[in-house]
Amino acid sequence: MNRLFGIETEYGIEVEGLGASDWIDESIAVVRSVSGPSVGGWNYRGEDPRRDMRGYVVTSLTTNPEDSMFDLPSRKPMSREEERSDRILVNGARFYNDHGHPEYATPECRSIKDLVAHDKAGDRIAFAAAERRAIQSNRSISLYKNNTDFHGSSYGTHESYLMRRDTPVDLVISALLPFFVTRQIFAGAGKCGLENCGREDPDRYQISQRADYLSVEASVDTLHNRPLVNTRDEPHTTPSKYRRLHVICGDANMSEYATGLKIGTTSLVLSLIEAGWTPGIVLKEAIKSVRMVSRDISLTQPLELEGGGSIKAIDIQRIYLNEAVKRYSGEDSDTDWTLAEWASTLNTLETNPMQLADRLDWVAKFALLNPFRLEEELKWNSPHMQSLDLAYHDINPQTGLYYGLEHEGTMRRLVTDGRITAAMSGAPCDTRAFLRGLMVNRFGGSIEGIGWNGILFRHNDETMLFDMNPLVEENVSILNEEFQSLQNLDQVIANLRQQYKEGLN
Amino acid sequence: MEFYAEERKQLPVTPVEPMRKEGDGDGPGKPEVTRPDTSDLLRRMKRVDPDSARRYRQRSGQ
Repeated sequence: MNRLFGIETEYGIEVEGLGASDWIDESIAVVRSVSGPSVGGWNYRGEDPRRDMRGYVVTSLTTNPEDSMFDLPSRKPMSREEERSDRILVNGARFYNDHGHPEYATPECRSIKDLVAHDKAGDRIAFAAAERRAIQSNRSISLYKNNTDFHGSSYGTHESYLMRRDTPVDLVISALLPFFVTRQIFAGAGKCGLENCGREDPDRYQISQRADYLSVEASVDTLHNRPLVNTRDEPHTTPSKYRRLHVICGDANMSEYATGLKIGTTSLVLSLIEAGWTPGIVLKEAIKSVRMVSRDISLTQPLELEGGGSIKAIDIQRIYLNEAVKRYSGEDSDTDWTLAEWASTLNTLETNPMQLADRLDWVAKFALLNPFRLEEELKWNSPHMQSLDLAYHDINPQTGLYYGLEHEGTMRRLVTDGRITAAMSGAPCDTRAFLRGLMVNRFGGSIEGIGWNGILFRHNDETMLFDMNPLVEENVSILNEEFQSLQNLDQVIANLRQQYKEGLN
Repeated sequence: MEFYAEERKQLPVTPVEPMRKEGDGDGPGKPEVTRPDTSDLLRRMKRVDPDSARRYRQRSGQ
């Protein structure tokens, strides 16, 4: 499973005594309260969220018109830099304000456990920053790793996967749709009640938080009219060789196991697609199907196929699994872990889903909340049940319900607390994030801007760009080791000049 | 002959290793049952403000 991947989490925020009109300022304040060495100033080289991988650039992205109710006319306009308040951290991660949410983007990772550890490290970093801000402002702050406010607003937990540019876009979209419609059966975070459901009875438990907010099959939009397959074309590396699949249809997972399985399975499916394989099925109505799957906790509802016939969500997943087993068994430990857990999870989902309450978020949440709901005779969409749902995603380890389950030893872990702590201050040693973290840690004062694919230095009255576009393959580990021993910026720059002369790759 | 309790010889009692340790023989061993401490979780659930979701409003994100 030789692929770069990462996760971005937009946290929900709540500050005692304040409201949604304050969230931009409060998110900025939380981000600026992050402790430890960091560098500000994001370098947007090569970034344009309007660029569509289907070969065009849209003039603008759609936004949720209801958000304007939170825009106060009295609020002073800010520059993009001020509003984002980027902090690039020593572990190679990016922490910033995005649309009124503190957002943590993990460094690029190459192994499942590294990514799980860095995703959890993000929760701890964000929580610590919120605690510092709370002391400063004398108002308690809660951060939630979820995807809905139960009032019609959603915010994202995105995944990024580096993939080959030469894979046809149409194939990527068509082959991914059935997978994304059904991936929620193990990657869904669970939700009390329905949203955007018209006349449908909202008194239901759902598998996915995000399903109610997906309205088109493929699009470059992310803030409104959200797609199952996001076609944004921002590779963050050499565009002629790579694309980055930006996945926005997924849920925020609290469970380490669910995060690991989500990343592992998606990465393997991308390998199948890169090899030209297709699942051989087309869902008649992908958007209708994603909602049907989300509402079907029995996992028995058949989904209609184009051309006739129907198939269950579990069996769609098995089409992908069986092909991945045939092609990739024994390739490496991450692949084998993913294939084994994918198979056993699908089997258990078919026979007794409740047995997965120790590892899948939607099952854990259901198992925790349903007895209370029955005893109190509450509706799933009642404010009390939705408050408990929200509390499941509270990232405060002392109050969050997920962390209560983890504390009592119920949840299956993939990484140790020690590994998460290490990820708070150290980047993966086998990706370019290591160089980013190293530069922030040692030469932060000389950095003018930093991005996913480069670092802008100011040294001896000269501005220099360290182009990191070529550094996405495994051999970056060699460069990482070399750079670790360099003592000063002169040595770094001399080394870089030499590397580029020799053809950095 | 009558024996009185005070005349009975009291031998010191020293702890001895049991003939067979639990779980290493053919007989039934003590089952390994770890019961999760659910009191902390219940306390967390009780402390959740039932109206918090009603108040919770966010701007749309991505």
